[in-house]
Amino acid sequence: MNKKAEEQDTTATETLNIHGASLSRRSFLGVSGSLLVSLALKPNLGFANSAVTNSLDAAAPNSWVEIHADNTVVIRTGKCDFGQSSIYTAYRQIVAEELGIPVDAITTVISGDTDRTPDGGGTFGLLRTNVLNLRKVAAYTREAVLKLAAQRFGVSPDSISIKDGILSAGSKRASYGEIVAKQALTLEIPVEGELTSFRGLTVAGNPPLKDPADYTVIGTPVKNPIVRPKVSGELTWVGDVKLPGMLHARVIHPATLGSTLVKAGNVDKSRFPNAQVVAINNLVAVVSPDEWEAVQAANAVAAVTQWSDWAGLPGSAQLQEHLRSQVDWNEVPGTAGRFNSGDAAVQASRTHAASYFVPYHKHAPIGPTVSLAEVTNGTITVHTHSQNPQFLRMAIAKMLGESEAAVVIRTYPGPGHFGRSNGGNAGSEDEAVLLARKLNKPVRVQWMRHDDMQWSTQSSAMLSDIRIDLNDSGKILRYEATHFGPPMQDDRPIGALLANLPTISSPSPNNPSPVHRAEMYVADSWVYAGIANVAETGHGTYQLGERESPLKVGLRDHSMRTPIQFQQNFPRESAITEAAALAGTDALEFRLQHATDPRFQALLTRLQKESQWQTRPSPAKEDESATVLRGRGVSIMFRDNGYWACAATIAVTPATGVVKVEQITLVADPGIVVNPLQLKRQAEAGCLMGVSQALHEEVAFDQSRVTSSDWYSYPILTMAEVPKLNVVIAPFQGAKIYGQGSESANALVPSAIAGAFFDATGKPARRLPLRPDYIKTLLL
Amino acid sequence: MTVISVNGEKREVKASPEVPLLYVLRGELDVMTPKFGCGLAQCGACSVLVDGEEVRACITPIAALDGKEITTVEGLPARWQQQRNLADDAERLHPVQQAWIDKQVPQCGICQFGMMIKTTELLESNPTPNDAAIVDALTTSGPSPHLCRCGSYAAIKEGIHHAADLMAASGGDKS
Repeated sequence: MNKKAEEQDTTATETLNIHGASLSRRSFLGVSGSLLVSLALKPNLGFANSAVTNSLDAAAPNSWVEIHADNTVVIRTGKCDFGQSSIYTAYRQIVAEELGIPVDAITTVISGDTDRTPDGGGTFGLLRTNVLNLRKVAAYTREAVLKLAAQRFGVSPDSISIKDGILSAGSKRASYGEIVAKQALTLEIPVEGELTSFRGLTVAGNPPLKDPADYTVIGTPVKNPIVRPKVSGELTWVGDVKLPGMLHARVIHPATLGSTLVKAGNVDKSRFPNAQVVAINNLVAVVSPDEWEAVQAANAVAAVTQWSDWAGLPGSAQLQEHLRSQVDWNEVPGTAGRFNSGDAAVQASRTHAASYFVPYHKHAPIGPTVSLAEVTNGTITVHTHSQNPQFLRMAIAKMLGESEAAVVIRTYPGPGHFGRSNGGNAGSEDEAVLLARKLNKPVRVQWMRHDDMQWSTQSSAMLSDIRIDLNDSGKILRYEATHFGPPMQDDRPIGALLANLPTISSPSPNNPSPVHRAEMYVADSWVYAGIANVAETGHGTYQLGERESPLKVGLRDHSMRTPIQFQQNFPRESAITEAAALAGTDALEFRLQHATDPRFQALLTRLQKESQWQTRPSPAKEDESATVLRGRGVSIMFRDNGYWACAATIAVTPATGVVKVEQITLVADPGIVVNPLQLKRQAEAGCLMGVSQALHEEVAFDQSRVTSSDWYSYPILTMAEVPKLNVVIAPFQGAKIYGQGSESANALVPSAIAGAFFDATGKPARRLPLRPDYIKTLLL
Repeated sequence: MTVISVNGEKREVKASPEVPLLYVLRGELDVMTPKFGCGLAQCGACSVLVDGEEVRACITPIAALDGKEITTVEGLPARWQQQRNLADDAERLHPVQQAWIDKQVPQCGICQFGMMIKTTELLESNPTPNDAAIVDALTTSGPSPHLCRCGSYAAIKEGIHHAADLMAASGGDKS
């Protein structure tokens, strides 16, 4: 039967105002009971041109939320999953909560694809700010459905209650599906912002939100539905995508971070008959229909490709000294901490002053970045794994000089890379596009392990001078911190730089985009309300080697899990531990004295209990001739409105310099806990990444190139080093803000471990990582 | 021509003998769960079972595998069904896979194919491993430790113990 013919428009379009959103409605005489009807919400066309560049057809049912007549619900978000699970669990819980439906009714989550999702923006702060879009959309939707139900029941919306997807008033009842069935409903909601900007669109207006006191879905443990298809092997990962007629590419990246091409090598056709060299300025690649041939031929061609020499980096062994004495910190304006207060010239009776250092880190995904691109009828489609697909779309369009409407980004599961692509690219996407356009064939660019280690961005280093003044009674009179470091958000795609094509600006003082400036911000949200005099300053610079590199490359930096706060929390908490020792006070007790916020008091008290903390001053005064020295340390942090505290117990073997982390206790009060199951898993894993960063991780580089090239030269934690973990989620009852959990934990652990090292040995470890060679120099 | 058995099916391989198994599985045979991680046998993302033993597919030329039996994660449910002589059930996964779901082990998940392969090898030879045996399997028993960047190691340990319990609890009679 022809369904269309059955559907007769019986009414003129009716429009209702829903808290500033606009609901239009047409009814049908449908014979088919399974007619699917959607509530479509489209960006307000009155705002900027972002809606114009969105290839979503707002009239089609592919928008934010779709409610079907069978009571199933689809949600769409431009954010992606990197293993946090939030978009598959917490997002569904939050939408289900606002709608008053069971979480299982949300059967489908469509994410990331720029032609199939409405909002854009980066995958970060998922539960802090980003989910507010869908939460508001859900609230608008619920209000619209309430209004429709009120008309149907002949009652006022206030008298209708919603439970488990059923709207009822007295004896009248209807499900969401029944309310929307046999109608074409379109809800237009107000939005602000630019779709392809760094932060994407924001849903405007203030629909009434459900009171957290009435939550029944939020706060329950929800398993991640994506786990089954992941472990069964059913999911298509980005590296698994195969396009008809595609070529496999391996990029031959320059010999150094500043080398230009002198002469590309040739393919030996007798060995590699189907391989071909492609060069676009300094972007050199070998392609073949056969992947292994591409790998082998690229190795052979790389060996005979000639590059200019370049040396413009200080070398990682000299990095601290370079940051101290070779960088002109006056080129970029300094910034003052938001919590600075009090008197800079107070008189102290004792002072702790020291410098601390965090090296460059790698995001180090287990799978090197891989992307595919194809050009069909003028549309450039990129298949990739990105944390900010709309921003990547902008960058690709800019590089090509094409309109954003000509670019589509499709996203797939891929290896977690912890912030590397929150500005769109992780590497390889733009190279695939340029090669596909040049060859007029679909191209798959798979970086090898060494490409990923040596040509991706890194989390930048920080040098911090801390001074803590104590008064006569051993309390902190004044805290001063001065942080020096390169910027952390270079979103220029590497292929655009190598091919010398237009792209966004590198981090600089005058960059029009605030997140891409060179200033070093004081990210360190202040936790010690009991200290009256606080003076924090940040000093930024340009990326190391970038201005000296003919490629404008050098060491490109990018934010990584708990960015900037990781680098600034380590010096603060390490110094606080040393100041506690100077005061002759237990390190945890010292924090209780100064972190006077009641939530920190509750957290630290809980940590004392959970970690079986023995209150005494550091160091532990163990027998120095013992073959193993043990100690414990503590750290705290405030991030994303969440309160975090961590205790570490370690064993140091002076003869070998090996630090073994024996136990980590983490107590978190992150606010409203949306999904306790996944939050705990995130926090546990965050702790372990923190142990990895504390013990192992440092990017090695010489004057020309990154020399960390594989898992031996950039080691990360193994299972043999996993400590006993005790993660306690202890939310403050009455919190109004959703708790984030994929960050913070990793940034707490290194200073707790360093504090434990000081406790065990009496020697401060003021730089990361605590590798045996460094530890042995401390214990000499 | 090299002939290998992949997940119970005999496959004739066109690729030349020096091509690593990983490229043959993914490129020629469309068996996609072994992932490219390093190409250097340093991470374990590409692990498969060869006659029941974990092998890094990224460095193993197929010349070494003629006549061998390869099992990847795609083949784990059938392997378990055959080992325990279980009735057909399209929904049933291998207990290791089921344990990974029950304990919500994966985060990004890219390393978990290799982790599950290594765990299967372990539990087939040691059905009740203690923590030390688990750590040994995942760090010192092979060419390199199996690496997880997300830090899911604690969850993996829980998953392995749970998988051992599931395997012990499974009857194995056709029902």
